[in-house]
Amino acid sequence: MKSVVEFFDRSQASPTGNELLSGQGRLAVLVSIVVLALFAPIANAYEPFWLNMLVRMMIFALLALSLDFIFGYAGLLSFGHAAMFGAGGYAAAMLITDVTANALIVLPIAMVVGAVVAGIIGWFSVRAHGIYFAMLTLAFAQMFYVIAFTDLPATVLGLESFTGGDNGLFGIQRYETFGVDFTSTLLYFYLTLATVALSFVALLRLSNSPFGRVLQGIRENEERIQFLGYNVQRYKVLGFALSGAFAGLAGGLYVPFQSVSHPGLLHWMISGELVVMLLLGGLGTLWGPMLGAGLVIFLEEQLAGFASWEIILGGIFVVVVIFAPQGLAGAITSVRNDPKNVVTNAKRAIRNYVDKVRK
Amino acid sequence: MVESVLRATLLGLQLGMTLALIAAGLTLIFGMLDVINFAHGALYMLGAYFGTVIAGQFGSFWLALLLAPLMVGLVGAAIEILSLRPLYDRNPLYHILLTFGIAIMIQGAIIQIWGAQSRQIPIPDLLSGTVAVGPVNYPVYWLFVLGVSTVLIGIVWLAIERSDLGILMQASAHDTEMVSALGIDVSKVFTGVFVFGAILAGIAGVLLGGSRSVHPGMGFGIIIEAFIIVVIGGLGSFRGAVYAALLIGLVTAYGALIAPTLTELFLFIMMAIVLMAKPSGLFGATEAA
Repeated sequence: MKSVVEFFDRSQASPTGNELLSGQGRLAVLVSIVVLALFAPIANAYEPFWLNMLVRMMIFALLALSLDFIFGYAGLLSFGHAAMFGAGGYAAAMLITDVTANALIVLPIAMVVGAVVAGIIGWFSVRAHGIYFAMLTLAFAQMFYVIAFTDLPATVLGLESFTGGDNGLFGIQRYETFGVDFTSTLLYFYLTLATVALSFVALLRLSNSPFGRVLQGIRENEERIQFLGYNVQRYKVLGFALSGAFAGLAGGLYVPFQSVSHPGLLHWMISGELVVMLLLGGLGTLWGPMLGAGLVIFLEEQLAGFASWEIILGGIFVVVVIFAPQGLAGAITSVRNDPKNVVTNAKRAIRNYVDKVRK
Repeated sequence: MVESVLRATLLGLQLGMTLALIAAGLTLIFGMLDVINFAHGALYMLGAYFGTVIAGQFGSFWLALLLAPLMVGLVGAAIEILSLRPLYDRNPLYHILLTFGIAIMIQGAIIQIWGAQSRQIPIPDLLSGTVAVGPVNYPVYWLFVLGVSTVLIGIVWLAIERSDLGILMQASAHDTEMVSALGIDVSKVFTGVFVFGAILAGIAGVLLGGSRSVHPGMGFGIIIEAFIIVVIGGLGSFRGAVYAALLIGLVTAYGALIAPTLTELFLFIMMAIVLMAKPSGLFGATEAA
């Protein structure tokens, strides 16, 4: 049992983020953004459905990115990121309905709300380590879910409705900022693209700042960082709150786009799916989880037509875990570094698997 | 007042003992294999569905109670040998992801084969109707479920604490290398533990399938409850899982009397308090980290 706790404390991936800071990495990021920006009008003209899916892919990419910042770098597995996602979403829904639809006001507030919720959950949870930390975040996130589902604030405050209970808040309009109306999906796409790109740059910078280095140090050897005079608990809570801010931002983008904020956003299944996206994409690489998020949304959408899409999706997870534990990012890196040995490597992985099963 | 409290107590004990069947498997698998089995709820659900099929085909609840758990055990063996065995030396994170994927697959397969509508396992005439327990008229079937689960938990407890096999299991969990060096095939012990946990979950599935509805969402519905129990009792502790399951069962039943909507919230608060006060759970070893 001890080994589990240790494993969770020091996840094995060794993220640096440096490959993204290299010339080639920057070029790849820039090219992806330009391609997405150019592809959007084409998709909009031919099949608007694709554009809709792209927006959701990017929003979940942002959510996965926020979790990778705290999980991949600081080694803190949050099983409750849905709480921050949903909190940001509910905040946006209430602000848009009652105050303003200005994205420049609502989105920062969604971030603050996400950070505050994460700060609360983090402050309680960092007392425990490893898997116990994960279970605590799960428990607190589910509390937020139950509170939203039963509309507890309305009962306590004597209001008619606050979170809208299990129906949630619906009819949320999209953003309108200084005369620019984001009701059209194409404009909302650009708003999302810009937000996600900026968040990506910010988190990449943050990961490679002295602050990010301390977080990595905590993942590798918490005791040593403590002896060096850093307040480990405070760094963890701060890192968690920062991660929560971006999760809240993702919620703030998601809810107006879907025009509804419901308790399902806070449910642990979202947190679970998010962890799947991270591992599928490649933990601690920042770009891998974004790819993983996109892929999961894409598969769910494409396979929904088949009656048995869950079997296929689950099967893909299982195969990836067994044969490609570094995720998509690991597979891509290995193919790029060593294109000639792809077949040999694949054969070896299969032989390895058969040997272990026969053991 | 007395009547509703007595009724709630009986219901809470029954719920607690069935939950203990599920949580016991979960905690044994964690304690021995170091695997957090997200697919455990899916195995429980599979037990219920196999139960509906067998009871429907042969018209016998008793046959379902006997065969369905064994079939779940076979599925468990396939899962352990084909997917978990190659991953034991890896970060436990991958076990979570793997079993999460398997749970999704099983849920998809169930929807594909049996559809999304809910069903129920028909219970035999012998167990239908109610019986007077003091001032309360209580369903016979629920008493039967309480009795069977209690006896099973007792047998499992004895088996783990007293039998040679139980001691071998404990030793394998404690020091895999040493047991392996003594000439015992540890990987068979691991498979055995996983299959055993799956069978217990399957039994719980058939038992609850007779009183609750059987539907494709029941697997993910129960897994969080089982996790709360295992965490409160202490990860890996069998005794802890049983006590915590009784506690949760009673809290749920009494909670339904006082504030039904807040019961779930209260369970999570309990789990958070226990984790913060003693992260290793009420009966767990002291925290390693």
